[in-house]
Amino acid sequence: MAQKNNSPWVDYVIFGLTIFLIFCLIFESFIDLPGLVAWMGRWHPLILHFPIVLLLMAAALGLFNRIVPNVLLTIATLSALVTAITGFFLGTESAPKGDLIFWHQWMGAGVAFLAVVWYWLSNNHLQQTYLVKGIQVVLILLVGLTGHYGGMITHGEDFLAWPKSKKLEKIPENPLIYEHIVHRVLDNSCIGCHNPNKTKGELLMTSIDELIKGGESGPALVIGDPVNSELIRRLHLPVEDEEHMPPEGKKPLSDNEIQILERWIALGASDTLKLSDLDNSEPLVGLVKKMMDSGTTNSWAKLPKVMDSTLQNLASDYITIKRISSNSQALSISVFLPPDYNSKNITDLKRISNNIIELDLSGIPIGEKEMELVAMCKNLEWLEVDRTPITDAEFIKLSGLAQLRVLKAYETGITDKSVAVLKDLKGLKSLYVWETQISGDGFAQLKEALPNLQLDYGIDPELKTEFIQKDSIVDSIQ
Amino acid sequence: MCDHHNKLRSNNRDLQSIERQLDRREFFKKTSLGIGAIALSSLLNTEKVWSAVNPVANPSNSIGSFTRNKLGLPHHLPKAKRIVYLFQSGGPSQLDLFDYKPKLKDMFGQDLPDSIRAGQRLTGMSADQTAFPIAASTLNFKQYGESRAWVSDAMPYLSEVVDDLCFIKGMHTDAINHDPAITFFQTGSQQPGRPSIGSWISYGLGSDNNNLPTFISLVSKNGSGQPLYSRLWGNGFLPTEHQGVQFRSGKDPVLYLGDPENYDGDDRRQMLDYLKKLNGIAYDAYGDPEINARIAQYEMAYRMQTSVPEVTDTSDEPDYIFDLYGPDSRNPGTYAANCLMARKLLEKDVKFVQLYHQGWDQHGNCPGGVKYQSKNTDQGTAALIKDLKQRGMLEDTLVVWGGEFGRTVYSQGQLTNTNYGRDHHPKAFTMFMAGAGVKPGFTYGETDDFGYNIIKDPVHTHDFQATLLHLFGIDHERLTYKHQGRRFRLTDVHGDVVKDILT
Repeated sequence: MAQKNNSPWVDYVIFGLTIFLIFCLIFESFIDLPGLVAWMGRWHPLILHFPIVLLLMAAALGLFNRIVPNVLLTIATLSALVTAITGFFLGTESAPKGDLIFWHQWMGAGVAFLAVVWYWLSNNHLQQTYLVKGIQVVLILLVGLTGHYGGMITHGEDFLAWPKSKKLEKIPENPLIYEHIVHRVLDNSCIGCHNPNKTKGELLMTSIDELIKGGESGPALVIGDPVNSELIRRLHLPVEDEEHMPPEGKKPLSDNEIQILERWIALGASDTLKLSDLDNSEPLVGLVKKMMDSGTTNSWAKLPKVMDSTLQNLASDYITIKRISSNSQALSISVFLPPDYNSKNITDLKRISNNIIELDLSGIPIGEKEMELVAMCKNLEWLEVDRTPITDAEFIKLSGLAQLRVLKAYETGITDKSVAVLKDLKGLKSLYVWETQISGDGFAQLKEALPNLQLDYGIDPELKTEFIQKDSIVDSIQ
Repeated sequence: MCDHHNKLRSNNRDLQSIERQLDRREFFKKTSLGIGAIALSSLLNTEKVWSAVNPVANPSNSIGSFTRNKLGLPHHLPKAKRIVYLFQSGGPSQLDLFDYKPKLKDMFGQDLPDSIRAGQRLTGMSADQTAFPIAASTLNFKQYGESRAWVSDAMPYLSEVVDDLCFIKGMHTDAINHDPAITFFQTGSQQPGRPSIGSWISYGLGSDNNNLPTFISLVSKNGSGQPLYSRLWGNGFLPTEHQGVQFRSGKDPVLYLGDPENYDGDDRRQMLDYLKKLNGIAYDAYGDPEINARIAQYEMAYRMQTSVPEVTDTSDEPDYIFDLYGPDSRNPGTYAANCLMARKLLEKDVKFVQLYHQGWDQHGNCPGGVKYQSKNTDQGTAALIKDLKQRGMLEDTLVVWGGEFGRTVYSQGQLTNTNYGRDHHPKAFTMFMAGAGVKPGFTYGETDDFGYNIIKDPVHTHDFQATLLHLFGIDHERLTYKHQGRRFRLTDVHGDVVKDILT
């Protein structure tokens, strides 16, 4: 029998915390936490380990008919309550709450309440009843489930999933719509349950023929008619619907992916169609390109981590450093001319050179030192060195920048000698080199070496004169 | 100085120690009220009380905007980094510029069929007309470029750049009069008080250049008509530093930037440093975010002493640039000069440049009026697009051209062979976009043979706003600001991104 040696205030604290927790849960949608309280929520991941261990220990002791020390139960109950409350605080930071957080919250609260009930029963000398035994069993289950859901929130839903050896291959420049795009989407989301080993609903999704053949619910795909294709219909159902695919709990397809499937079916569900066969106004082109673009963001995932504080130190009123998207390690940097320019401010950027994806040095009096920094930015995709005093001697430093996509070097002193450097930039898509010393011959060579390059020589001189002449036309219609 | 400002303490040490103890009453008051206060707080306007934790209102952040955006923006990879919005105020006549309707020639003077108007509400200016005679445009239309886009001969320069443009011919809006319609376009609500698009973008994405305002508006001096109000570039309920800064349409776009005689930059720096301290104390005491806005604006003004003259000085522009933008471009404050200034501001990474040109309100003498307005704006617009293109800026800069609504197919007032007027028409009009992330040489949407109703791919004002934010990497449903107990968005509860015009 547990000895009753608690001072009454422990009871009051437990009672108070319980009331507070109930209050929080009931008035959840009305609560707007001040900063300090929200901060307290950040301790949840630390504190939560206590109730897990202590409650499991106490429950195990009880189930083996040992005496549960009162101190153990008290601390376990208290820590369960504090964990539930801090967890609630932490949860308010992520609105709207997802399914995972929802279940985690209510099961966590359940754990705390059960612990309080047990504590109360034990204080009233009802320690050895079957009721308490039942509570102990449920507690063990609930603690496990709550912990599992919590783990999924922090580590991702597939953290405990079976390791997959599948590697995502890069989408080629001019993909086959079925093989490289559609099949990839199906492979990611559907084929896991619709393959020869596991054929849910008797539907195979491994080939176009199998899709047309269909399964229990008839053909999954009607060529040219996405609206009447079972596949598309199910994708569009609300997530709660029994028939929605992928089933609840699995990651649904993105809007982009659904639209790709729709357009592909509407266009005849061909397996030979290539991206280049499509007209530019066809929506599928944009959809596919978007999917390919998200591939490039993946290449940024390998960039080294860079701290906010580092950026804070390197940036100034005249150097803007931004992350390209909010949590990306890819940086975009713009430099503006300060009243007293010093090249050191730019060369200091070498600490983060691998992260620089876009660099704008337009109009800055850069020289060799700065161009050495540019040469170090191996992942550079976008460079602006227009209206700078650079010449061939400095321009040659760009030769190793294999990722360069856009280069602006107009109004600079480069000549035909730099054409050799440009020719080696195989990834280059747009080049702006008007008002330079590059000759027509140089341009011709460039065009030959890089047929896909968009070359901008500036405004066509003929058009320039036309613009001026047209002034008279406008006068005449007045 | 303000540690105990909410409670008086005595100077006697013995008394102080007693005062610090929590008495029973105090204890109950604090515990019981504390819980209630948390629940109550949601009912009250809490943003000012806890503004210190609001990351955007914090001035150290306006400088620190380069780091991880506290709002988690952009939501996705942006296509556009900056925008120039050429607002054609008054409602340009789509029927005399871009929306070519050849069949109207045969119906000249006939009454507009009721089936087309379908009982639509008209303005007080033409609702009393006994007849609604169809007025075909007297301007000549031709197809241009590889995209074969129709442009009337009022815009000869623009016709040269149609292959860079994306026409949206199915625009429609809710409002039928100028002020509500412009306010609706710029703020997402017909009633004044909401933040402008530029303010939302400034709030969401911050500045790219700390030496210039993020959002600048320019009103051309060579257009006149329905008035414009500064609330069109206002910040509404967003923190004040997100307000658009209007540059004056004259030689001196920002007044009083120069130092007075015998007063040098160091003196000003000292003065500002001391003022900042004083303002800092006031902020600690009252926590009003407006104080932070003021500190930030003083600092910005200081840096603008060098950055603004640099931008507004056009003396180093070569002659051919002035020729490109037309003779007006040498006359500060005109539309063409503002276009040139816009390019210079965009080059300095100003995020949102908004031009306004008034006078597109052709209730009478529509053909002449449209030609006159075009003469003042056509060359500037086309030159700006050409100039941005040659600088590679169309890759990440968005150009938007459009008014608040379109004009009717029927004539307001008397219809003659050469002259007619057109009333406001919110149900269908044309806008165009160019540059970052938008399909070049493309036309989206279609109107019926009367140019009155949209028959394919309508784009509502909210859809346009959602698309604009989308191009900046912002999900319009997730950029919100809580004010008076409600989370507001630019698109309110509407808006769909027009995916079909995106590259």
